[in-house]
Amino acid sequence: MTTETTASGKHFIHHHAAHCETGVTSALLRDQGIDISEPLIFGIGSGIFFGHLPFIKIVGLPITTFRSQPGSIFRKAGKRLGVKFVTKRFRNPQKGMEELRRVLREGNIVGLTVNIYWLSYFPRRFRFQFNGHNLIVLRETVTGFRISDPVLEHPVDCLTEDLERARFARGPLESHGFMYYLQRIPQTIDIREACIAGIKDTCNMMLKIPLPILGIRGMRYLAKKIKSNPQKLGFDEACRHLANIVRMQEEVGTGGAGFRFMYAAFLQEAADLFSSADLARISVEMTSIGDLWRNFAVVSARVIKQRGGLGDNIDKVSELMQECAAREEKLFKNLQDVVRKLKA
Amino acid sequence: MKVNEVPQDETFYEGVKRACYALDNEGKYIIIPSSGWSAEEVVNGLAVDELKNKLEETRMDVIKGLKSPLAYHMEQRQMTPEILAKTVGMFSFRVRRHFRPEIFAKLKPSVIKRYALALALTEQELKSVPDTIEER
Repeated sequence: MTTETTASGKHFIHHHAAHCETGVTSALLRDQGIDISEPLIFGIGSGIFFGHLPFIKIVGLPITTFRSQPGSIFRKAGKRLGVKFVTKRFRNPQKGMEELRRVLREGNIVGLTVNIYWLSYFPRRFRFQFNGHNLIVLRETVTGFRISDPVLEHPVDCLTEDLERARFARGPLESHGFMYYLQRIPQTIDIREACIAGIKDTCNMMLKIPLPILGIRGMRYLAKKIKSNPQKLGFDEACRHLANIVRMQEEVGTGGAGFRFMYAAFLQEAADLFSSADLARISVEMTSIGDLWRNFAVVSARVIKQRGGLGDNIDKVSELMQECAAREEKLFKNLQDVVRKLKA
Repeated sequence: MKVNEVPQDETFYEGVKRACYALDNEGKYIIIPSSGWSAEEVVNGLAVDELKNKLEETRMDVIKGLKSPLAYHMEQRQMTPEILAKTVGMFSFRVRRHFRPEIFAKLKPSVIKRYALALALTEQELKSVPDTIEER
Protein backbone atom coordinates (compact mmCIF):
# COMPACT_ATOMS: atom_id res chain seq x y z
CA MET A 1 0.00 0.00 0.00
CA THR A 2 1.35 3.41 -1.02
CA THR A 3 -0.35 6.79 -0.92
CA GLU A 4 -0.20 9.08 -3.93
CA THR A 5 -1.77 12.41 -4.83
CA THR A 6 -3.97 12.77 -7.90
CA ALA A 7 -4.38 15.81 -10.16
CA SER A 8 -7.18 17.13 -7.98
CA GLY A 9 -5.01 16.93 -4.88
CA LYS A 10 -6.92 13.99 -3.43
CA HIS A 11 -5.16 11.03 -1.91
CA PHE A 12 -5.06 7.78 -3.81
CA ILE A 13 -4.08 4.54 -2.10
CA HIS A 14 -2.23 2.12 -4.32
CA HIS A 15 -2.94 -1.55 -3.55
CA HIS A 16 -0.76 -4.34 -4.89
CA ALA A 17 -2.99 -6.71 -6.85
CA ALA A 18 -2.52 -10.06 -8.56
CA HIS A 19 -4.36 -9.29 -11.76
CA CYS A 20 -4.49 -6.08 -13.80
CA GLU A 21 -8.17 -5.93 -14.77
CA THR A 22 -9.63 -6.77 -11.35
CA GLY A 23 -6.98 -4.61 -9.65
CA VAL A 24 -7.88 -1.55 -11.73
CA THR A 25 -11.64 -2.01 -11.35
CA SER A 26 -11.38 -2.40 -7.59
CA ALA A 27 -9.00 0.58 -7.29
CA LEU A 28 -11.37 2.86 -9.26
CA LEU A 29 -14.23 1.93 -6.92
CA ARG A 30 -12.12 2.16 -3.78
CA ASP A 31 -11.10 5.65 -4.80
CA GLN A 32 -14.78 6.62 -4.59
CA GLY A 33 -15.05 5.22 -1.09
CA ILE A 34 -16.64 1.88 -1.96
CA ASP A 35 -14.62 -0.72 -0.11
CA ILE A 36 -14.49 -3.61 -2.52
CA SER A 37 -11.50 -5.91 -2.79
CA GLU A 38 -9.86 -7.43 -5.84
CA PRO A 39 -11.19 -10.97 -5.20
CA LEU A 40 -14.74 -9.62 -4.83
CA ILE A 41 -14.52 -7.96 -8.23
CA PHE A 42 -13.07 -11.16 -9.64
CA GLY A 43 -15.97 -13.23 -8.33
CA ILE A 44 -18.71 -10.72 -9.18
CA GLY A 45 -17.33 -10.30 -12.70
CA SER A 46 -17.16 -14.12 -13.13
CA GLY A 47 -13.44 -14.09 -13.85
CA ILE A 48 -12.64 -17.74 -13.28
CA PHE A 49 -12.88 -19.99 -16.31
CA PHE A 50 -11.09 -22.61 -18.32
CA GLY A 51 -10.72 -22.96 -22.04
CA HIS A 52 -8.39 -24.55 -24.54
CA LEU A 53 -8.52 -22.97 -28.00
CA PRO A 54 -6.60 -25.21 -30.38
CA PHE A 55 -7.40 -23.11 -33.45
CA ILE A 56 -6.12 -19.75 -32.11
CA LYS A 57 -2.34 -19.87 -32.00
CA ILE A 58 0.36 -17.61 -30.64
CA VAL A 59 3.89 -18.44 -31.86
CA GLY A 60 2.47 -21.72 -33.13
CA LEU A 61 1.09 -22.79 -29.75
CA PRO A 62 -2.63 -23.11 -28.96
CA ILE A 63 -4.07 -20.84 -26.27
CA THR A 64 -5.06 -22.23 -22.89
CA THR A 65 -6.88 -19.79 -20.67
CA PHE A 66 -7.76 -19.91 -16.99
CA ARG A 67 -9.89 -16.77 -17.06
CA SER A 68 -12.76 -15.30 -19.01
CA GLN A 69 -12.19 -13.08 -22.00
CA PRO A 70 -10.23 -9.82 -21.40
CA GLY A 71 -12.51 -6.91 -20.57
CA SER A 72 -15.45 -9.06 -19.50
CA ILE A 73 -14.68 -8.93 -15.76
CA PHE A 74 -14.73 -5.12 -15.86
CA ARG A 75 -17.95 -5.07 -17.89
CA LYS A 76 -19.82 -7.67 -15.87
CA ALA A 77 -18.74 -6.35 -12.48
CA GLY A 78 -19.82 -2.82 -13.44
CA LYS A 79 -23.20 -4.05 -14.61
CA ARG A 80 -23.88 -6.24 -11.59
CA LEU A 81 -22.90 -3.53 -9.11
CA GLY A 82 -24.92 -0.90 -10.98
CA VAL A 83 -21.87 1.32 -11.44
CA LYS A 84 -21.74 3.47 -14.55
CA PHE A 85 -18.42 4.03 -16.33
CA VAL A 86 -17.66 6.47 -19.12
CA THR A 87 -15.81 4.49 -21.80
CA LYS A 88 -14.07 5.89 -24.87
CA ARG A 89 -12.13 4.61 -27.87
CA PHE A 90 -10.29 6.72 -30.42
CA ARG A 91 -9.24 6.59 -34.03
CA ASN A 92 -6.75 9.38 -33.69
CA PRO A 93 -3.92 8.95 -31.12
CA GLN A 94 -3.52 12.71 -30.73
CA LYS A 95 -7.16 13.13 -29.78
CA GLY A 96 -6.90 10.17 -27.44
CA MET A 97 -4.01 11.75 -25.55
CA GLU A 98 -5.71 15.15 -25.42
CA GLU A 99 -8.88 13.64 -24.04
CA LEU A 100 -6.86 11.77 -21.40
CA ARG A 101 -5.23 15.04 -20.29
CA ARG A 102 -8.57 16.82 -20.21
CA VAL A 103 -10.22 14.15 -18.06
CA LEU A 104 -7.22 14.11 -15.71
CA ARG A 105 -7.39 17.90 -15.32
CA GLU A 106 -11.01 17.56 -14.29
CA GLY A 107 -9.75 15.58 -11.33
CA ASN A 108 -10.63 12.05 -12.39
CA ILE A 109 -8.34 9.06 -12.29
CA VAL A 110 -8.52 7.13 -15.53
CA GLY A 111 -8.26 3.45 -16.37
CA LEU A 112 -6.56 2.52 -19.64
CA THR A 113 -6.25 -0.68 -21.65
CA VAL A 114 -2.79 -0.87 -23.20
CA ASN A 115 -0.20 -3.06 -24.87
CA ILE A 116 2.24 -4.39 -22.28
CA TYR A 117 5.25 -4.59 -24.61
CA TRP A 118 5.77 -0.83 -24.82
CA LEU A 119 5.65 -0.20 -21.05
CA SER A 120 9.33 0.14 -20.28
CA TYR A 121 8.87 0.18 -16.51
CA PHE A 122 8.25 -3.58 -16.56
CA PRO A 123 11.11 -6.08 -16.40
CA ARG A 124 12.08 -7.23 -19.91
CA ARG A 125 10.64 -10.70 -19.61
CA PHE A 126 7.22 -9.47 -18.52
CA ARG A 127 6.90 -7.62 -21.80
CA PHE A 128 5.29 -9.23 -24.82
CA GLN A 129 2.85 -8.16 -27.52
CA PHE A 130 -0.40 -8.38 -25.60
CA ASN A 131 -3.04 -5.69 -25.95
CA GLY A 132 -5.08 -6.41 -22.84
CA HIS A 133 -3.13 -4.91 -19.96
CA ASN A 134 -4.90 -2.43 -17.66
CA LEU A 135 -3.54 0.42 -15.54
CA ILE A 136 -4.64 3.66 -13.88
CA VAL A 137 -3.30 7.11 -14.74
CA LEU A 138 -3.20 9.38 -11.69
CA ARG A 139 -1.87 12.68 -13.05
CA GLU A 140 0.36 14.25 -15.65
CA THR A 141 4.01 14.91 -14.76
CA VAL A 142 6.72 16.94 -16.48
CA THR A 143 7.90 14.11 -18.75
CA GLY A 144 4.87 11.88 -18.82
CA PHE A 145 2.30 10.41 -16.50
CA ARG A 146 2.14 9.03 -12.98
CA ILE A 147 0.81 5.49 -13.23
CA SER A 148 -0.69 3.16 -10.67
CA ASP A 149 -0.17 -0.27 -12.19
CA PRO A 150 -1.88 -2.73 -9.83
CA VAL A 151 0.49 -5.55 -10.79
CA LEU A 152 3.42 -3.57 -9.34
CA GLU A 153 4.02 -2.86 -5.66
CA HIS A 154 4.31 0.92 -6.03
CA PRO A 155 3.17 3.63 -8.47
CA VAL A 156 5.61 4.41 -11.31
CA ASP A 157 6.37 7.08 -13.90
CA CYS A 158 5.82 6.49 -17.59
CA LEU A 159 7.02 8.61 -20.52
CA THR A 160 4.35 10.19 -22.72
CA GLU A 161 5.86 8.52 -25.77
CA ASP A 162 5.74 5.04 -24.20
CA LEU A 163 2.17 5.48 -23.05
CA GLU A 164 0.99 6.71 -26.43
CA ARG A 165 2.59 3.73 -28.16
CA ALA A 166 1.11 1.34 -25.61
CA ARG A 167 -2.37 2.78 -25.95
CA PHE A 168 -2.45 2.77 -29.73
CA ALA A 169 -0.47 -0.39 -30.51
CA ARG A 170 -1.95 -2.46 -33.32
CA GLY A 171 -2.49 -6.19 -33.54
CA PRO A 172 -4.92 -8.75 -32.13
CA LEU A 173 -7.40 -7.40 -29.55
CA GLU A 174 -6.22 -3.84 -30.14
CA SER A 175 -7.64 -1.39 -27.63
CA HIS A 176 -7.83 1.81 -29.76
CA GLY A 177 -6.76 3.82 -26.72
CA PHE A 178 -9.64 2.44 -24.63
CA MET A 179 -10.09 4.58 -21.51
CA TYR A 180 -12.67 4.49 -18.73
CA TYR A 181 -13.54 6.39 -15.58
CA LEU A 182 -16.40 6.44 -13.14
CA GLN A 183 -19.42 8.47 -14.11
CA ARG A 184 -21.93 7.65 -11.44
CA ILE A 185 -22.18 5.35 -8.48
CA PRO A 186 -25.58 4.34 -7.17
CA GLN A 187 -26.55 5.39 -3.65
CA THR A 188 -26.68 1.87 -2.38
CA ILE A 189 -24.65 -0.95 -3.79
CA ASP A 190 -25.95 -4.42 -3.20
CA ILE A 191 -22.79 -6.49 -3.09
CA ARG A 192 -24.63 -9.61 -2.00
CA GLU A 193 -26.94 -9.63 -5.00
CA ALA A 194 -24.00 -9.01 -7.30
CA CYS A 195 -22.15 -11.96 -5.73
CA ILE A 196 -25.07 -14.27 -6.38
CA ALA A 197 -25.29 -13.18 -10.02
CA GLY A 198 -21.53 -13.65 -10.42
CA ILE A 199 -21.48 -17.13 -8.89
CA LYS A 200 -24.45 -18.32 -10.96
CA ASP A 201 -22.86 -17.10 -14.15
CA THR A 202 -19.56 -18.78 -13.23
CA CYS A 203 -21.25 -22.13 -12.56
CA ASN A 204 -23.00 -21.96 -15.92
CA MET A 205 -19.79 -21.12 -17.74
CA MET A 206 -17.85 -23.94 -16.09
CA LEU A 207 -20.54 -26.63 -16.35
CA LYS A 208 -23.07 -25.80 -19.04
CA ILE A 209 -21.35 -24.53 -22.19
CA PRO A 210 -22.05 -27.25 -24.75
CA LEU A 211 -18.60 -27.17 -26.36
CA PRO A 212 -15.90 -29.72 -25.61
CA ILE A 213 -13.15 -27.12 -25.27
CA LEU A 214 -14.62 -24.80 -22.62
CA GLY A 215 -15.18 -25.20 -18.89
CA ILE A 216 -14.68 -28.56 -17.18
CA ARG A 217 -15.08 -30.30 -20.55
CA GLY A 218 -12.13 -28.27 -21.80
CA MET A 219 -9.93 -29.56 -18.97
CA ARG A 220 -10.78 -33.16 -19.80
CA TYR A 221 -10.18 -32.52 -23.49
CA LEU A 222 -6.80 -30.94 -22.76
CA ALA A 223 -5.80 -33.74 -20.36
CA LYS A 224 -6.42 -36.28 -23.11
CA LYS A 225 -4.54 -34.16 -25.58
CA ILE A 226 -1.51 -33.88 -23.27
CA LYS A 227 -1.45 -37.66 -23.07
CA SER A 228 -1.61 -38.23 -26.81
CA ASN A 229 0.70 -35.36 -27.78
CA PRO A 230 4.03 -37.25 -27.47
CA GLN A 231 2.92 -39.83 -30.05
CA LYS A 232 1.48 -37.21 -32.35
CA LEU A 233 4.04 -34.44 -32.16
CA GLY A 234 7.14 -36.05 -30.68
CA PHE A 235 8.37 -35.59 -27.14
CA ASP A 236 10.09 -32.22 -27.56
CA GLU A 237 7.12 -30.60 -29.22
CA ALA A 238 4.79 -32.09 -26.58
CA CYS A 239 7.00 -30.47 -23.93
CA ARG A 240 6.71 -27.11 -25.70
CA HIS A 241 2.93 -27.39 -25.59
CA LEU A 242 2.97 -28.43 -21.94
CA ALA A 243 5.30 -25.57 -21.03
CA ASN A 244 2.91 -23.14 -22.66
CA ILE A 245 0.00 -24.42 -20.56
CA VAL A 246 2.00 -23.99 -17.36
CA ARG A 247 3.05 -20.49 -18.48
CA MET A 248 -0.57 -19.46 -18.96
CA GLN A 249 -1.34 -20.87 -15.52
CA GLU A 250 1.44 -19.30 -13.51
CA GLU A 251 2.72 -16.30 -15.44
CA VAL A 252 2.25 -12.88 -13.87
CA GLY A 253 -1.31 -11.84 -13.22
CA THR A 254 -2.97 -14.97 -11.94
CA GLY A 255 -2.34 -14.72 -8.19
CA GLY A 256 -1.13 -18.34 -8.38
CA ALA A 257 -2.60 -21.57 -9.72
CA GLY A 258 -4.41 -20.05 -12.68
CA PHE A 259 -6.66 -17.74 -10.60
CA ARG A 260 -7.86 -20.62 -8.38
CA PHE A 261 -6.46 -19.03 -5.19
CA MET A 262 -8.03 -15.70 -6.05
CA TYR A 263 -11.39 -17.40 -6.48
CA ALA A 264 -10.94 -19.16 -3.13
CA ALA A 265 -10.29 -15.73 -1.61
CA PHE A 266 -13.52 -14.50 -3.19
CA LEU A 267 -15.49 -17.44 -1.80
CA GLN A 268 -14.04 -16.73 1.62
CA GLU A 269 -15.17 -13.09 1.49
CA ALA A 270 -18.57 -14.15 0.18
CA ALA A 271 -18.87 -16.66 3.04
CA ASP A 272 -18.39 -13.78 5.49
CA LEU A 273 -20.92 -11.60 3.65
CA PHE A 274 -23.62 -14.27 3.76
CA SER A 275 -22.36 -15.88 6.99
CA SER A 276 -22.57 -19.13 5.09
CA ALA A 277 -20.66 -22.17 6.34
CA ASP A 278 -21.26 -23.89 3.00
CA LEU A 279 -19.38 -21.20 1.07
CA ALA A 280 -16.53 -21.32 3.60
CA ARG A 281 -16.26 -25.08 3.05
CA ILE A 282 -16.21 -24.65 -0.73
CA SER A 283 -13.49 -22.00 -0.37
CA VAL A 284 -11.31 -24.51 1.52
CA GLU A 285 -11.88 -27.07 -1.24
CA MET A 286 -11.00 -24.47 -3.90
CA THR A 287 -7.72 -23.80 -2.08
CA SER A 288 -6.81 -27.46 -2.15
CA ILE A 289 -7.69 -27.65 -5.86
CA GLY A 290 -5.37 -24.68 -6.32
CA ASP A 291 -2.64 -26.61 -4.54
CA LEU A 292 -3.28 -29.48 -6.95
CA TRP A 293 -2.83 -27.12 -9.92
CA ARG A 294 0.46 -25.96 -8.37
CA ASN A 295 1.49 -29.58 -8.13
CA PHE A 296 0.56 -30.02 -11.79
CA ALA A 297 2.93 -27.13 -12.61
CA VAL A 298 5.75 -28.59 -10.50
CA VAL A 299 5.49 -32.06 -12.06
CA SER A 300 5.22 -30.54 -15.55
CA ALA A 301 8.34 -28.45 -14.96
CA ARG A 302 10.22 -31.57 -13.81
CA VAL A 303 9.12 -33.52 -16.87
CA ILE A 304 10.22 -30.68 -19.13
CA LYS A 305 13.56 -30.24 -17.39
CA GLN A 306 14.61 -33.85 -16.94
CA ARG A 307 12.87 -35.23 -19.98
CA GLY A 308 11.24 -38.00 -17.97
CA GLY A 309 13.39 -39.37 -15.15
CA LEU A 310 12.45 -40.26 -11.56
CA GLY A 311 9.08 -41.74 -12.48
CA ASP A 312 7.61 -38.42 -13.65
CA ASN A 313 6.08 -38.68 -17.05
CA ILE A 314 3.51 -37.07 -19.28
CA ASP A 315 0.88 -39.66 -18.32
CA LYS A 316 1.13 -38.55 -14.71
CA VAL A 317 0.74 -34.91 -15.75
CA SER A 318 -2.38 -35.82 -17.70
CA GLU A 319 -3.81 -37.72 -14.71
CA LEU A 320 -3.23 -34.71 -12.48
CA MET A 321 -5.24 -32.55 -14.83
CA GLN A 322 -8.03 -35.14 -14.95
CA GLU A 323 -8.09 -35.04 -11.16
CA CYS A 324 -8.34 -31.23 -11.22
CA ALA A 325 -11.24 -31.52 -13.67
CA ALA A 326 -13.09 -34.08 -11.54
CA ARG A 327 -12.69 -32.05 -8.36
CA GLU A 328 -13.63 -28.75 -9.97
CA GLU A 329 -16.72 -30.32 -11.51
CA LYS A 330 -17.82 -31.51 -8.09
CA LEU A 331 -17.05 -28.13 -6.57
CA PHE A 332 -19.02 -26.10 -9.10
CA LYS A 333 -22.02 -28.46 -8.92
CA ASN A 334 -21.91 -28.06 -5.18
CA LEU A 335 -21.59 -24.29 -5.49
CA GLN A 336 -24.58 -24.20 -7.81
CA ASP A 337 -26.71 -25.93 -5.17
CA VAL A 338 -25.47 -23.61 -2.43
CA VAL A 339 -26.01 -20.40 -4.40
CA ARG A 340 -29.64 -21.29 -5.08
CA LYS A 341 -30.30 -21.20 -1.35
CA LEU A 342 -28.62 -17.82 -0.79
CA LYS A 343 -30.76 -14.74 -0.40
CA ALA A 344 -29.58 -11.28 -1.33
CA MET B 1 -1.16 -22.26 -0.48
CA LYS B 2 -0.03 -20.98 2.92
CA VAL B 3 1.92 -17.79 3.49
CA ASN B 4 5.17 -19.64 4.13
CA GLU B 5 4.68 -21.70 0.97
CA VAL B 6 4.69 -18.66 -1.34
CA PRO B 7 7.79 -19.19 -3.48
CA GLN B 8 10.58 -16.64 -3.08
CA ASP B 9 13.03 -17.90 -5.69
CA GLU B 10 15.44 -15.65 -7.52
CA THR B 11 14.23 -15.56 -11.11
CA PHE B 12 13.76 -13.09 -13.92
CA TYR B 13 11.65 -10.49 -12.10
CA GLU B 14 14.54 -7.98 -11.83
CA GLY B 15 13.56 -6.99 -8.31
CA VAL B 16 9.86 -6.62 -9.11
CA LYS B 17 7.49 -8.67 -6.97
CA ARG B 18 4.18 -10.11 -8.02
CA ALA B 19 1.19 -10.56 -5.76
CA CYS B 20 0.14 -14.04 -4.68
CA TYR B 21 -2.93 -14.99 -2.68
CA ALA B 22 -2.08 -17.18 0.31
CA LEU B 23 -3.61 -18.26 3.63
CA ASP B 24 -2.30 -16.73 6.85
CA ASN B 25 -2.18 -18.50 10.23
CA GLU B 26 -5.86 -17.87 10.88
CA GLY B 27 -6.86 -19.29 7.50
CA LYS B 28 -7.60 -15.86 5.98
CA TYR B 29 -6.53 -15.01 2.44
CA ILE B 30 -4.00 -12.20 2.18
CA ILE B 31 -1.70 -10.89 -0.56
CA ILE B 32 1.95 -11.87 -0.30
CA PRO B 33 4.54 -10.45 -2.72
CA SER B 34 6.57 -13.19 -4.37
CA SER B 35 9.97 -12.74 -6.00
CA GLY B 36 9.47 -15.64 -8.39
CA TRP B 37 9.05 -19.39 -8.66
CA SER B 38 11.56 -21.90 -10.04
CA ALA B 39 8.86 -23.97 -11.77
CA GLU B 40 7.73 -20.87 -13.60
CA GLU B 41 11.34 -20.06 -14.45
CA VAL B 42 11.70 -23.43 -16.22
CA VAL B 43 8.76 -22.91 -18.55
CA ASN B 44 9.47 -19.23 -19.11
CA GLY B 45 13.14 -19.98 -19.80
CA LEU B 46 12.12 -22.50 -22.44
CA ALA B 47 9.99 -19.92 -24.25
CA VAL B 48 12.64 -17.21 -23.98
CA ASP B 49 15.42 -19.48 -25.29
CA GLU B 50 13.24 -20.42 -28.21
CA LEU B 51 12.70 -16.79 -29.16
CA LYS B 52 16.39 -16.05 -28.69
CA ASN B 53 17.47 -18.90 -30.95
CA LYS B 54 15.05 -17.85 -33.63
CA LEU B 55 16.23 -14.26 -33.42
CA GLU B 56 19.88 -15.30 -33.68
CA GLU B 57 19.02 -17.44 -36.72
CA THR B 58 17.39 -14.44 -38.39
CA ARG B 59 20.41 -12.28 -37.53
CA MET B 60 22.71 -14.79 -39.22
CA ASP B 61 20.39 -14.88 -42.25
CA VAL B 62 20.65 -11.10 -42.51
CA ILE B 63 24.44 -11.26 -42.36
CA LYS B 64 24.45 -13.97 -45.03
CA GLY B 65 22.25 -11.76 -47.19
CA LEU B 66 19.20 -14.04 -47.15
CA LYS B 67 16.90 -11.65 -45.30
CA SER B 68 16.66 -7.90 -44.82
CA PRO B 69 17.40 -6.22 -41.46
CA LEU B 70 13.68 -5.42 -41.27
CA ALA B 71 12.94 -9.10 -40.56
CA TYR B 72 15.37 -9.02 -37.64
CA HIS B 73 14.02 -5.82 -36.10
CA MET B 74 10.44 -7.00 -36.43
CA GLU B 75 11.23 -10.23 -34.59
CA GLN B 76 13.19 -8.34 -32.01
CA ARG B 77 10.06 -6.32 -31.23
CA GLN B 78 8.17 -9.64 -30.91
CA MET B 79 5.94 -8.67 -33.80
CA THR B 80 4.51 -10.71 -36.65
CA PRO B 81 4.27 -9.43 -40.24
CA GLU B 82 0.55 -8.84 -39.62
CA ILE B 83 1.11 -6.65 -36.55
CA LEU B 84 3.90 -4.71 -38.27
CA ALA B 85 1.76 -4.22 -41.37
CA LYS B 86 -1.08 -2.79 -39.31
CA THR B 87 1.31 -0.52 -37.43
CA VAL B 88 2.83 1.00 -40.58
CA GLY B 89 -0.44 0.89 -42.50
CA MET B 90 0.52 -1.44 -45.34
CA PHE B 91 -0.70 -4.81 -46.57
CA SER B 92 1.12 -7.68 -44.92
CA PHE B 93 2.21 -9.17 -48.27
CA ARG B 94 4.05 -5.91 -48.94
CA VAL B 95 5.79 -6.10 -45.56
CA ARG B 96 6.78 -9.71 -46.27
CA ARG B 97 8.19 -8.64 -49.61
CA HIS B 98 10.41 -6.15 -47.82
CA PHE B 99 12.09 -9.03 -46.00
CA ARG B 100 13.97 -9.71 -49.23
CA PRO B 101 17.28 -7.81 -48.99
CA GLU B 102 17.38 -6.71 -52.65
CA ILE B 103 13.91 -5.15 -52.36
CA PHE B 104 14.61 -3.62 -48.94
CA ALA B 105 17.75 -1.95 -50.34
CA LYS B 106 15.71 -0.09 -52.94
CA LEU B 107 13.04 1.25 -50.58
CA LYS B 108 12.25 4.94 -50.68
CA PRO B 109 13.39 6.97 -47.62
CA SER B 110 9.76 7.74 -46.80
CA VAL B 111 8.95 4.03 -46.44
CA ILE B 112 12.06 3.46 -44.33
CA LYS B 113 10.93 6.31 -42.13
CA ARG B 114 7.54 4.70 -41.57
CA TYR B 115 9.17 1.43 -40.53
CA ALA B 116 11.61 3.23 -38.22
CA LEU B 117 8.73 5.02 -36.54
CA ALA B 118 6.69 1.85 -36.14
CA LEU B 119 9.58 -0.07 -34.59
CA ALA B 120 10.81 2.86 -32.47
CA LEU B 121 14.27 2.81 -34.05
CA THR B 122 16.40 5.37 -35.86
CA GLU B 123 16.65 4.95 -39.63
CA GLN B 124 20.33 4.05 -39.22
CA GLU B 125 19.52 1.28 -36.73
CA LEU B 126 16.88 -0.12 -39.06
CA LYS B 127 19.32 -0.57 -41.93
CA SER B 128 21.75 -2.83 -40.08
CA VAL B 129 21.78 -5.57 -37.47
CA PRO B 130 23.78 -5.42 -34.21
CA ASP B 131 26.79 -7.66 -33.58
CA THR B 132 25.00 -9.59 -30.87
CA ILE B 133 21.30 -9.93 -30.21
CA GLU B 134 20.05 -7.56 -27.57
CA GLU B 135 17.06 -8.07 -25.33
CA ARG B 136 14.75 -5.12 -25.46
